[in-house]
Amino acid sequence: MDDKKAAILSEIPRLRRYARSLLRDRDSADDLVQDCLERALVRLDNWQTGESPRRWLFTIMHHLFIDQMRKVNRRGEAAMLPLEAGEAQAAPADQVETIASREIMDALQAISPDRRAALVMVAIEGFSYAEAANILGVPAGTLMSRIARGREELRGLLDDTSRRRSIRIVEK
Amino acid sequence: MTRRDFSERDIHMALDGELPGEERMAYDAWLEANPEMKAKSARYVADRAAMRAAFAGVMDEPVPARLRQVVLGEAPAKASALRSRWWLSAAAAVMLAVGGLGGYVAGVDSIARGGGDDQLAEQAIAAHVTYAAEKRHAVEVPASEKDHLQTWLSNRVGLKLVAPDLAAEGFQLVGGRLLPAGEQGKAAMLLYEDAKGERISLFVTADSSATSKGTYTAEGGGPEAVYWLDKGYACAVVGSLPPERLSDVAKSAYGQLVAGISS
Repeated sequence: MDDKKAAILSEIPRLRRYARSLLRDRDSADDLVQDCLERALVRLDNWQTGESPRRWLFTIMHHLFIDQMRKVNRRGEAAMLPLEAGEAQAAPADQVETIASREIMDALQAISPDRRAALVMVAIEGFSYAEAANILGVPAGTLMSRIARGREELRGLLDDTSRRRSIRIVEK
Repeated sequence: MTRRDFSERDIHMALDGELPGEERMAYDAWLEANPEMKAKSARYVADRAAMRAAFAGVMDEPVPARLRQVVLGEAPAKASALRSRWWLSAAAAVMLAVGGLGGYVAGVDSIARGGGDDQLAEQAIAAHVTYAAEKRHAVEVPASEKDHLQTWLSNRVGLKLVAPDLAAEGFQLVGGRLLPAGEQGKAAMLLYEDAKGERISLFVTADSSATSKGTYTAEGGGPEAVYWLDKGYACAVVGSLPPERLSDVAKSAYGQLVAGISS
């Protein structure tokens, strides 16, 4: 196996994590990763020697994600609506999620895809602002405002969830 | 030492490691002097920890074979049309079967195994896997509203649809739901249950052109789909029954659906 393929293989866990935070559902997320890998292999020659495979792969995957989100929006499909927790997306038995994890995953799904991507890229994936701006193809200022708004929005959603939870507890 | 006013923007920069080192002390002092900002910073730190914890497990999951195969060039050609719709509902993109074994239905000489067939079977299996396992939310409209169910699904899918009576095969209608199918299409899913609680589902969508029949099981096992495309209908019966019994159920369902068209 050549070095490029080995380098790509070793990035799969991170790509899966990023995809999962973008799409929530495990199988849909892995489908996105698979599309990304297929496109990457077709374009192996575009990968500059010395360029970080991580940045290259994340850029490819981000383009796929954003392109499809735009298509979905144009068609007016409701794929972006956050699902009611535990209703349409029962997690597979082997996918144990704590309540806290589920709440944060649901909240992430409810913020706009652009903000979600920017926030996750920096807060979970650990990219610098410069790297994340480059991968997402936006100026650094735009990235920063997406991160700030994303965090603010996420906080509000989590507060709403915990407020609803405490109301339910009181009603019992 | 740098002197400047800090703002909320700096909270994000500090959190993300983007605050220049020489400003750090002044920033910390500013935070100490502004309890509101300090609380905000602490909250963002906590939210970030929760985000990281929520997705940390993904890194430890074994990499699915299908992803390794793409990189190693071992992946057999497959219906990428199904996968490339991952952004649609989970139901349309859940189960992904690489390869798959073509089956055989009595009375069929040859089975044309085009992408359309696989796609239909994969979608039907995905829907079955997703919803048949749901005890309380398996259907949108229960069997008690059968007339409404039939009218509603017929209108949405654009096909005359009757819910076959499978009592002779031991199955009672539980109800049905509407699902996405294909690029823009919609599919009806009807769920049935026998006395032991075994469930099968009937997946129906419109397909103008093709005519074929077959059976399909994902490579990794799981429920089997008996499908047929004919008269503008694309149907699949999915379940984990012995093949002969599933085939009988499928024949009965098919006969009633076809009879329903002209009734």
